[in-house]
Amino acid sequence: LPPQHNADPQKTAFLLRKQWTLYSVTPLYGFSNADLKHYARLLSAFTAAEKQKGLAVEVGVELDIKVTVSNVPDLKGSDRDQDAILVQLSLRSSASQKNSEDKLVWLGCFCCVFGDHLSENLPEDFTCLPLFLANGAEGYTSIVGSWFQKTFDCCFRRLAISPLNLSWMAAMWTGCQVDKTTSAMELVFSAPCLPYPLDISYAIHPEDAKALWDTVQKTPGEITQEEVDIFMDCLYSHFHRHFKIHLSATRLMKVSTAIASAHCDGIIKFLQSKYLAGVLMLLTELAISQIQ
Amino acid sequence: MDETVAEYIRRTVLKIPRDEIKMMLQKWGFLSEAQLETINFHQIKDNISQDVVQLCEENSADIKQAAVLDIIYNNIYPNKRIWSVYQMNKTGEETEFFDLTDFKKKFKRLLRSALKNVTITFKEYEDNAIWIRIAWGTPYTKPNQYKTSYVVYHSQTSYVFISASVLKSNLPLLCQALVVASNYQDIREMELRSHSLNSLKDIVFKRYSQNFQTYSPRPLTEKNVAPETVDLRIIQENRNEKERIQRLNREVFGDGPQPKIEFAQYKLETMFKSDPKMDVLDKKEPFRCLVKFSSPHLLESLKSLAPAGMADAPLSPLLTCIPQKARNYFKIREKKGVLPGSFVSP
Repeated sequence: LPPQHNADPQKTAFLLRKQWTLYSVTPLYGFSNADLKHYARLLSAFTAAEKQKGLAVEVGVELDIKVTVSNVPDLKGSDRDQDAILVQLSLRSSASQKNSEDKLVWLGCFCCVFGDHLSENLPEDFTCLPLFLANGAEGYTSIVGSWFQKTFDCCFRRLAISPLNLSWMAAMWTGCQVDKTTSAMELVFSAPCLPYPLDISYAIHPEDAKALWDTVQKTPGEITQEEVDIFMDCLYSHFHRHFKIHLSATRLMKVSTAIASAHCDGIIKFLQSKYLAGVLMLLTELAISQIQ
Repeated sequence: MDETVAEYIRRTVLKIPRDEIKMMLQKWGFLSEAQLETINFHQIKDNISQDVVQLCEENSADIKQAAVLDIIYNNIYPNKRIWSVYQMNKTGEETEFFDLTDFKKKFKRLLRSALKNVTITFKEYEDNAIWIRIAWGTPYTKPNQYKTSYVVYHSQTSYVFISASVLKSNLPLLCQALVVASNYQDIREMELRSHSLNSLKDIVFKRYSQNFQTYSPRPLTEKNVAPETVDLRIIQENRNEKERIQRLNREVFGDGPQPKIEFAQYKLETMFKSDPKMDVLDKKEPFRCLVKFSSPHLLESLKSLAPAGMADAPLSPLLTCIPQKARNYFKIREKKGVLPGSFVSP
């Protein structure tokens, strides 16, 4: 995995240990880093209007939603990447005083980590932030997404992660050096089309999984498709030896390691700040593939 | 009537599906037929339960009666809880005569001597099942009627089914009470858990159709099958293979319906073996894995894997042995020189 951009891990810590839903976003037209406060005001008004329409998430109590839009310069791969943009939605109950704490209810982050090749041939009016991460209620994601789509003529799509890509993540993340090996390397498979659906969780002790991967990977720092295939085949055949079941005929749904966990519906959880950039780089790549 | 009892009865009635309330109250027998006639069972459940509480007030219900209603509910809907299976042992062959009164007395005495505050309720059913409901308290607090454990004991057998739920710390005491009350020597937990109490009974009492090896030189003919309209343009590929798979499946799983369990777990501590050409891991230590299978009906799901092309037939004995071995939690170690077998570890 590539070395971390000179980032302050504190600034990106908000990404860790939360469940993020992933989207690919086409380039934003007419977006400017200088107008973030302005966007926050516009988005705030839009959100309030949506609430009046009855499309709001919360019902009953009169709630005041505060919107913050900021940039996160530490969240990028190279200097050619755009600064990441963070959108925060907080609730201020009208009864509370100015000094009381707002309750953070939704986070959205646009970023691009080593994804500058997408912007290579685009005019300057476009801002490339192909990866969007959302944490919080779906209703808010929908409102924020709608506003960005209308305002910057872009398109959000849920990022699906194929079994092929999940296998890559499994292999890559298994090879990472982790200080305390507490989490198993877990693969979750599903066979939904049977009369009674079947789910299989296959968890391997992280030391043993890493030992296997280390014998498969020939060049440190490089991973080939062939190596990923061999690694997965080894795991499948160990399973088959015991249970006579062909895991390759089922669908790989989720991969969990000490580094991160990823679900095929485009849901991710980052667990280690040391490898955050690496995982984001991979996800940026997936987002870019989905856009193109 | 105590407020807590009233509330408990109200909540218990609310759990029952509306169409079943009258039947359950009749089974309970605490309210008379005349009283039941006064309740409108077509109104919303909230109102039905209020009416029931009102009538219970008239009859001065106490916690003992309320507890019986709770047992009746759990007896009809046992699948809402998760059940573990325990087996009791004693040396000596004599099957002693089971004295229910003596059992109840000893059970209560042991629990009460350790914990002053417990509510213990018994109900016997026709199939020789004794249901015991225990609401746990502490030396300083009254029993919490919402923190309950249930025991189902078939006195003709050495098996006990326990749904302990929350207070696992009371489990050893509960086990001790059972052993003493039933005149056994000890009790051990089997590696068998499920939501389906009846399936657990099927498994331990061997009530499912077992897979006897039958040799059929000709395929078994089905009765009462409507003649298929044969479209000669459709050819069944691999018919022989499909029939072979069906036959092998029948041999390992048997013909009848499978007992219903929802999961099986295997802790694997076997060696990793691979094709030597692949030049991969060749450690002398076990490749440690934990495999969990889950499904709304696991055994039927596993049975459908080979016909669906997702598994070889016959399926591994590690999976097909679940009913015979009466367990769904396994620890598998390498057998020297042979394919992995199930070496049972305590």
